Amino acid sequence: MSPFLGPLDRDGRVPARQQTRLSAFLMSAHGAQARQLAIALSGGLQHGWQVELHSQYCREVEILSLIMRATSWVPDPALMFLIWQWEVAWLPRPAEGAADASQGYLIDLAAFGHALHAVVRPAALLPEFAPHDNAFAQAMRRIEFESGRLLHPQILFLKGPELVPARAAVAAAVERRHAQVRELWNALLHGMEIEPSGRHNLPPAYQLTVKAAAEAAATAAAAAKASEPAKQR
Amino acid sequence: MAWLECKSRRIHYETAGPDGGPTYVLVNGLTQYVRLWIPFRDALIARGFHVVSFDMLGQGQSDKPSLFIHQDDQVAVLGDLIAALGERPIFVSGISFGGVIGLRYAITHGDRIAGLVPMSSFAEIPSQLYRLGVAMRTGLTLGGTTYLQDLLFPMNFSSEWLEEKSYLIELATHRGWLINDVYALANLMESFLDFEPLTPQLPLIRTPTMILTGEFDFLTPRKLQDSLRAHIPNSAMVIIPRAYHAFTLEKPEYTAYLLARFADDVLTGRWHGKQTVWVGPEAIGGDLTPFPAGFDHLRAIPVRKEAPPAALGADALGQKATAS
Repeated sequence: MSPFLGPLDRDGRVPARQQTRLSAFLMSAHGAQARQLAIALSGGLQHGWQVELHSQYCREVEILSLIMRATSWVPDPALMFLIWQWEVAWLPRPAEGAADASQGYLIDLAAFGHALHAVVRPAALLPEFAPHDNAFAQAMRRIEFESGRLLHPQILFLKGPELVPARAAVAAAVERRHAQVRELWNALLHGMEIEPSGRHNLPPAYQLTVKAAAEAAATAAAAAKASEPAKQR
Repeated sequence: MAWLECKSRRIHYETAGPDGGPTYVLVNGLTQYVRLWIPFRDALIARGFHVVSFDMLGQGQSDKPSLFIHQDDQVAVLGDLIAALGERPIFVSGISFGGVIGLRYAITHGDRIAGLVPMSSFAEIPSQLYRLGVAMRTGLTLGGTTYLQDLLFPMNFSSEWLEEKSYLIELATHRGWLINDVYALANLMESFLDFEPLTPQLPLIRTPTMILTGEFDFLTPRKLQDSLRAHIPNSAMVIIPRAYHAFTLEKPEYTAYLLARFADDVLTGRWHGKQTVWVGPEAIGGDLTPFPAGFDHLRAIPVRKEAPPAALGADALGQKATAS
């Protein structure tokens, strides 16, 4: 199995069936995160930290809009089951051991966000040297980049002084959400015949000579070009 | 590829080179992973060493704790790995962050290793390094791994090397981004937030120690390595000419030469660190030179010491037989 999406078509695009499956997962997870943030903000903004939540909500909505518009959607019958499975997993579950239910929900929301933005790396699935002038690929890069940024406030909140008394609850909630997101993410990738750990077997660039580095780039580009005519034949 | 279980965490490690003999255990820097050691590892193997490298918690293929990583856990991993190697002369060499883990291990378990080589490392975080760390963490969260790497390249390497290797910088950045996870890097950085200086405990390290520092390292300046030298009794510091922070990548054969000399000196009983200061040879095969007596090795210009410590003044003149 490859560590990457593909093979790309002659224009360097990810196959539509892979786009659909991956985007459906992202829509489900980021959609759940956006809904939960919206509920947390439903009473208006009274505290300073809610401003940060509002910002996160806006980022999630942007991500959803981006996925919806940049994906080449095709029918995928498996999604009927998969989406149900994903949506059940994302349901809020207050962290046990929190000071009260409200804090428990907030910890779970941040833990879910942390897991989603930490574990799910859609851009890392793009073949190396995938063209930049492609909406789907750029959307995946954008989502991963924004995910890295969204992690920061979640880390600050989860490691913040107000949650020190509930540190065990925080750690357990984050571990649980990480395990859950990782399991579903890996299952999704295996369903697309992608083995994400394969990226670790790529030789480090430091070992490459000029010739080998150029060949690596040329090989990737040639593979992308060659794949579509072969499939058409 | 091999795996070690440590406190229910899975650790990825690799071994290479002739088994049974002297072994070097290499401990990664912050954004490093096992495969980045390969040129350096191969140079050590060529000199007859068995080499063990591993991904620390949060790195490469090892488990990545989701929110909290404690440096004690990294030390426990190193300890388990060393224990698994059995009876043989073991040398631990860590670079930068990995050097800190090596120091921590040697403070508590120094009797289990034959020698220690901290490279570009530190036992304290003075304001300058702390501020750099804060800036790097902010850079990581705002600009991602790629930004952090962009920042580190000019700190790690010389202009000459960067120019010579310009064809691979983009690919190296991409591969580094691919392997490293932002949250795991952030956790590794944050494991320094409650960092307590190790300096008071350094005298507990009785194992032979060779401290390597790059002449032009401005990420972890010489003063930080000199603090190790001043507090570890059986240590010597070697300044590598024209080297920056990541000399195991820029000068793998040269660094392996120094490590091989050190191991040979230790195993043949010729090593007497005496907290001395040396200048590395210009080329592989050359001799180490005592830092000129009476001059301040912490200055970039030749300034005479006002009051040289007695130990340094005496040893710097007559140490050729001890560390060469």
